[in-house]
Amino acid sequence: MTAVLECVGLTRRFGERVAVDAVSLRVEPGETYGLLGPNGAGKSTTIRMVCGLLAADSGIVTVAGRTMAPGSAARADVGYVPQDVALYPDLSARENLRFFGRMYGLRGPTLAARVAEVLDLVGLADRGGERVESFSGGMKRRLNIGAGLLHRPRLLVLDEPTVGVDPQSRHAILDSVRTFGAAGMAVLYTTHYMEEAERICDRVGIIDRGKLVAEGTPRDLVAMVAERDRVEVAASGDLTAFAAACARLDGVDSADTTDGQVHLVTADGRALLPAVLAVAERGGIGVRSAQVVEPDLETVFLHLTGTALRE
Amino acid sequence: MTILIIAAKDLRQRLRDKSAIVLGFLAPVAIAWLMSAAFGGVGGFHLEAAVVDQDGGDIAAAFTAMLADDDLADLVTLHPVSGVDDARAKLADGEVSAVFVLPAGFSAAVRGTAAVPVTVLGTVDEPVARQVGVAVAEAFVARFNAVRLSVVTALAAGADPATVADLAAEAARLDLPEYLVDTPIGSRQLSAISYFGPGMGIFFAMFAIGFTARGYHAEREAGTLDRLLAAPVRRGSVLAGKSLAAFAYAMASLTTMAVVTTLVFDAYWGPLPAAAALIAAMALAMAALTALVISLTRNQRQAEGLASMLTFGLVLLGGNFVFVSVAPAALRGLALFTPNGWALRGFTDLATGAPATAALLPVAAIVGFAAATAVIATAATRWRRP
Repeated sequence: MTAVLECVGLTRRFGERVAVDAVSLRVEPGETYGLLGPNGAGKSTTIRMVCGLLAADSGIVTVAGRTMAPGSAARADVGYVPQDVALYPDLSARENLRFFGRMYGLRGPTLAARVAEVLDLVGLADRGGERVESFSGGMKRRLNIGAGLLHRPRLLVLDEPTVGVDPQSRHAILDSVRTFGAAGMAVLYTTHYMEEAERICDRVGIIDRGKLVAEGTPRDLVAMVAERDRVEVAASGDLTAFAAACARLDGVDSADTTDGQVHLVTADGRALLPAVLAVAERGGIGVRSAQVVEPDLETVFLHLTGTALRE
Repeated sequence: MTILIIAAKDLRQRLRDKSAIVLGFLAPVAIAWLMSAAFGGVGGFHLEAAVVDQDGGDIAAAFTAMLADDDLADLVTLHPVSGVDDARAKLADGEVSAVFVLPAGFSAAVRGTAAVPVTVLGTVDEPVARQVGVAVAEAFVARFNAVRLSVVTALAAGADPATVADLAAEAARLDLPEYLVDTPIGSRQLSAISYFGPGMGIFFAMFAIGFTARGYHAEREAGTLDRLLAAPVRRGSVLAGKSLAAFAYAMASLTTMAVVTTLVFDAYWGPLPAAAALIAAMALAMAALTALVISLTRNQRQAEGLASMLTFGLVLLGGNFVFVSVAPAALRGLALFTPNGWALRGFTDLATGAPATAALLPVAAIVGFAAATAVIATAATRWRRP
């Protein structure tokens, strides 16, 4: 099958820093590909090169058989949904959609029909004449996605579309993304929420420090750490020192701390727990809870990169 | 087509922004009216004067007749007074602003050697009137002294003292050569509103540079610029669309200014084609300056700073706030390095009655400035790697 999106050896530097380092990936028609990584991992830079917003230092991006670069005609095949709500607040929803539709060459009755269709799709058919500034956050997010669908792109690129979204809107967005994939559209979806990747992505690429460190279906990736447990310790005190002390324990593959928790990957979580609690007691760490979690993408990420996903 | 769509979208947003409406359409009319009211007195000066003739001779009568002459009717109005005390009372009441006291012996002195001073009375409230009065008296006395000098010289050379009166009359008939001749391009008098109308119109229209450039960077920060550039749209088209919006805004603002000041304040911007060409050229220069500011800056703050520096630098050098004709020579020279300086020069020539062709050189200079600015903006845009 011909890939809608193919990246080969994609690299981009900012000064001495390598933001994206030889990333290669393919997204097939009807496939939803999740690019999973923490903030600063290189997801947005990769997406900007895929959308022709940023030039690659080396490597090639091909969209529907056409080479993508800033200014290239291949942009017509891509629908881009930025992380922030990229709409004009002082224009109405319909005016926003008309404007962006025209930018993709839609005119006349075709444009009017597509605008009506998208407003209906995002549940704003009865609010089309209202200014975007009067919308709730969830409505803006839905319209933000709708603006990327106007021209029926072959590849839809969503850059963390659920950041800062309430749970109800988040569910609606994830459901609609699944619909796009089912309709045959290729979807590239970046997130740092592993449960989103598990829920909607056919395949997931894990990116860390600019490198694609693993790729596969969520099931395949979890299978990589099937013999591993993740231990999560919610505690207070010097958690960085606590995580470092835990990392020195026998059988601990990796340890990291985030959001008031210490995350450990080990072969046998239950066996490790007494030693972890002993370390906490010696270090004056107040442990609120400790649990052994079944392997998931979070475990995979921690195992592969040594850092927790939600930084 | 894309450029037009982007410009139309920007203008739609601009029209929904009340501050842009105030800055572009209401403020320039109000400020131009205020400035013409403040400076209009210079062009329309009128002296309310009185003469106290204590001499009663023919020379004193000639001085009074000179001030009452029809040629000076627009400049001087003479009020009758019965004496110095009456004149002082009228000065105190503000009925007159300058009083000439011609002392006894004033006429006879033309035939003798003794100097007879003319006194000019004024009030501290109207220093300009007093200065004008002194200048008028000095000019007359200078001519009077020239006649005296001629007579004394003739007598010293052996002329018959019995012919003094004839000699004095002969000398008085000789006109002094005029070394300083005012040769304006046109024939009309420049009214303050005809100068400050275009001046303030251009100044406020230049705010379009700042808020259009800020708008571009606001789009970058909001992500809509990325969304635009992710569509099959060239970066240059976005820049051109923004600049076109600035052009249209400046055109609308200056045209409104011209129509309102003409209809309401009796300003004269010149023949329609010439004034329209100057307005269009100036709007073009503002569009090019907008592109320059966008291309040289990276965020809203930088854009605001650079646009403010350009706007205030250009209007100060170009003479939007002062009559360039009375500015020092250096400033007049610097004004010709600015598009607004050329525009004001063009509008001034047209407003003083020059033919429409007088706008050709200013229009060419402004278009040249716009072209050079656009070239720099394009180079700066291309130089930046995406």
